[in-house]
Amino acid sequence: MSEQLLIGAVAYTPNVVPIWEGIREYFAESPAPMDFVLFSNYGRQVEALRAGQVDIAWNTNLAYVRTVLQTGGRARALAMRDTDTRFATVFVARTGSGLSGPDSIAGRRLALGSADSAQAAILPLYYLARAGVDVTRLEVTRFDSDIGKHGDTGRSELDAIDAVLAGEADVAAIGITTWDGIGGGELMPEALEAVWQTEPYCHCMFTALDTLPAERHEPWVSTLLAMDWGRPAHRRILELEGLHRWVRPELDGYAGLFAAVEEQGVTKWW
Amino acid sequence: MVVILDLMRMAGALAEGATGAVTISSASELDLVRRWCERTGNTLITTSPADAGLGAVLVRRGRLPDPAATLGPDRLPGARLWLYTNFHCNLACDYCCAASSPRAERRELGVERIGRLVRAGADWGVHEVYLTGGEPFLLPEIARIVADCVRLLPTTLLTNGMLFRGPGLRALQAMPREGFALQISLDSATPDVHDGHRGAGSWARAVAGIGVALGEGFRVRVAATIASPHAADLAALHDFLDGLGIARADQVIRPVAQQGAADTGVQFSRESLVPEVTVTADGVYWHPVAATDERALVSTQIEPLGPALSEVYRLFAEQWAAAGAAARLFPCA
Repeated sequence: MSEQLLIGAVAYTPNVVPIWEGIREYFAESPAPMDFVLFSNYGRQVEALRAGQVDIAWNTNLAYVRTVLQTGGRARALAMRDTDTRFATVFVARTGSGLSGPDSIAGRRLALGSADSAQAAILPLYYLARAGVDVTRLEVTRFDSDIGKHGDTGRSELDAIDAVLAGEADVAAIGITTWDGIGGGELMPEALEAVWQTEPYCHCMFTALDTLPAERHEPWVSTLLAMDWGRPAHRRILELEGLHRWVRPELDGYAGLFAAVEEQGVTKWW
Repeated sequence: MVVILDLMRMAGALAEGATGAVTISSASELDLVRRWCERTGNTLITTSPADAGLGAVLVRRGRLPDPAATLGPDRLPGARLWLYTNFHCNLACDYCCAASSPRAERRELGVERIGRLVRAGADWGVHEVYLTGGEPFLLPEIARIVADCVRLLPTTLLTNGMLFRGPGLRALQAMPREGFALQISLDSATPDVHDGHRGAGSWARAVAGIGVALGEGFRVRVAATIASPHAADLAALHDFLDGLGIARADQVIRPVAQQGAADTGVQFSRESLVPEVTVTADGVYWHPVAATDERALVSTQIEPLGPALSEVYRLFAEQWAAAGAAARLFPCA
């Protein structure tokens, strides 16, 4: 058996354990056996990756961007979920609000999720600004409910929705997965509606440093990409992790976040 | 809308397979919970507010496990049909779940009825038949019963293997080799444990019976009934059976159930047993290990068999869903 790769992941849900135990089992008989270690937040995980304590980190888009920025470009993107290639932020308001499109959000009370959530805090302001909205004139309320986990728990987005339903905010910015999770406007059309959606961007990314040779990470990536939705044992893991198949990196989808981090002065050390 | 946010928060904190409760205040909210579960791949366990009381409904994170995937298609209810050919026996084992003995009433199913039951089972979708007792080799017609079964479905005959001489041997020799297996009871690698439960000299005759059956070209499974198996004893038994030429896959270890003649053993309820439909002269039962237990009686009407098979399947499906988790499988093979 070759030396195990050590993969880092953040424990944002109890399902992280069965997910990674399942992935480890899948890799056990492969040419790239692995183990995993769980972190309580992405800051610690990126730190461990830089220190060589893990070989590969399962990063959010912000954690990937921060790894790139902290290492002067020595980060290597390895693989992502198919669902990561078409992430988006959805702006939701109470049904009948009359809001539609970015211009209608200008000057409104905007509820945002955790400050380190790309989809619910950083990118909403970036895309609104790109659409011509003066974000300095927005009345922003932030719900920093799960700082450190980059919005993975979704809690801060639900808190932002609560604010809209309570009439304390006009619009909430949430990730498209949360929007889908609450029914995407189909389950409760009389309560919430989407008033604008950003262009697609990319989300999570397996990240390594250039010190990990290709002969070590490539067999691992090839094995990962071979997981098959049609096989029940694989499908259980893929469903829990929220994808149909693993894909090669699409780096263009991170340009917006790199720009947003720079424009908004988001620290690269969280 | 709030109930969906409650569901999202609750589900986010649950591990796959765990359950949590949310409070609803109206039938429309219950419908909303149902539609949310369908959309998100979660499972509504309680189907009406009254089920959980006080407007709370129980939701399972993720889908219910597929019983076919969890149990295997050969263990789904109705896949196996057990027939108690009779209840009398040449032995009086102290753990016998059917309380069989030389003094037990014969309660035979009969050749003709067994033929009809197996036909009905095959038509319903049964995959295989298990004939048990009592000691089936006490029946003069056992070769014909086996032949009738094997013509329709793969069949296993459970026996103590002690009657393979005279008429018993001739009956054995007349049985088909294809689509048929013998399952002979042997509890230990040496006579002491086996004879302690089943009677002096029974171990040697069972071992001899295994040899006869193998010599006649039959597939032989050996089943050991052991109350508290110790690793060393199990290893010795497996080594012994290896030496007899019994394939490892045909070496079955099963616990003692607290049923019939057994004062101690594994206790179970109908809810904890994955059903294997069992027919005796007295009725249709949930599982062969409980074939004399009134609590496991499904129907006193033996024929037609199809409705009883369907009823057991329906009850199991309800039970599976209500449990919200895999039923514990009692291994009785």
